[in-house]
Amino acid sequence: MKALISALAVVSLGLLVAGPARADGYKTCTKLEKASWKPASEAEAKAKAAGYEVRRTKIEGSCYEVYGVKEGKLFELFYSPEDLSLKHTIAK
Amino acid sequence: MTATVPQPRDSVPAAARSTALVPVWDLPLRLLHWATALCVLVAWFTPNTYDTTHRSAGYAVLVLVPVRLVWGFIGTRHSRFRNPLRVCRVLPRYLLDMARGRSRRYLGLNPAGSAISMAMLVLLVISGVSGWMQVTLRFFGVAWVQDTHTYASDAVMVLVLVHVVGVLLMSIRQRENLVRAMITGWKRSGAAGR
Repeated sequence: MKALISALAVVSLGLLVAGPARADGYKTCTKLEKASWKPASEAEAKAKAAGYEVRRTKIEGSCYEVYGVKEGKLFELFYSPEDLSLKHTIAK
Repeated sequence: MTATVPQPRDSVPAAARSTALVPVWDLPLRLLHWATALCVLVAWFTPNTYDTTHRSAGYAVLVLVPVRLVWGFIGTRHSRFRNPLRVCRVLPRYLLDMARGRSRRYLGLNPAGSAISMAMLVLLVISGVSGWMQVTLRFFGVAWVQDTHTYASDAVMVLVLVHVVGVLLMSIRQRENLVRAMITGWKRSGAAGR
């Protein structure tokens, strides 16, 4: 019984501690403070110019994350809000 | 004056302390339970970074949960679902009794266990389906699909924690290792129980 209690306590504690700390996706693009960021619409425009159909744009950490579709394939594009350079691409 | 033995509030009636063991959780139920638990745990720690693992865990859940749903109608006695309306009706009373430390022992799922297992199954379907939709051409990058997946998955984890705490609490109160019961399938027969 003690083993059960300690096991469950460890699991619960582990979930609580590790939950927020669990690995996240790509999220570091710039150190520039938010006030000086270029607008997200410009990141979208860049993706469109590159041939993507833009579905959604989110702020992910210090990145603009653009959900784009190109030739029937799904992509997550990470742009730096500082200079709108493409930092990272994930094919879904 | 007669000396009365002080009774702990949660004491199990003597008759219920019977050591005779009876099969409660059938093998398919146990396999489904632990496989789902593993997949949910894996999925919880792998979004974004370990995409392939996350998806495999999610697809596995989308296979396991429907099997569990079918088993809830054709499985052995304690695997079968209770009438959700009935569970809802007896739940407040049961939770109140539980808070007062007076809840009686059930051999299978108690009303709280029934309610939370059904809630978890529903949320797992929502989480699994919305997660799958996210990677279809039609629903990729659609805000409400992403939000549904996030909230349903968070809700699953909240219920998982409540479930684990509930199992722990009832294990202590009933002086019986309920985790072991879900592994071996056997429980003390006891007097009360259905």
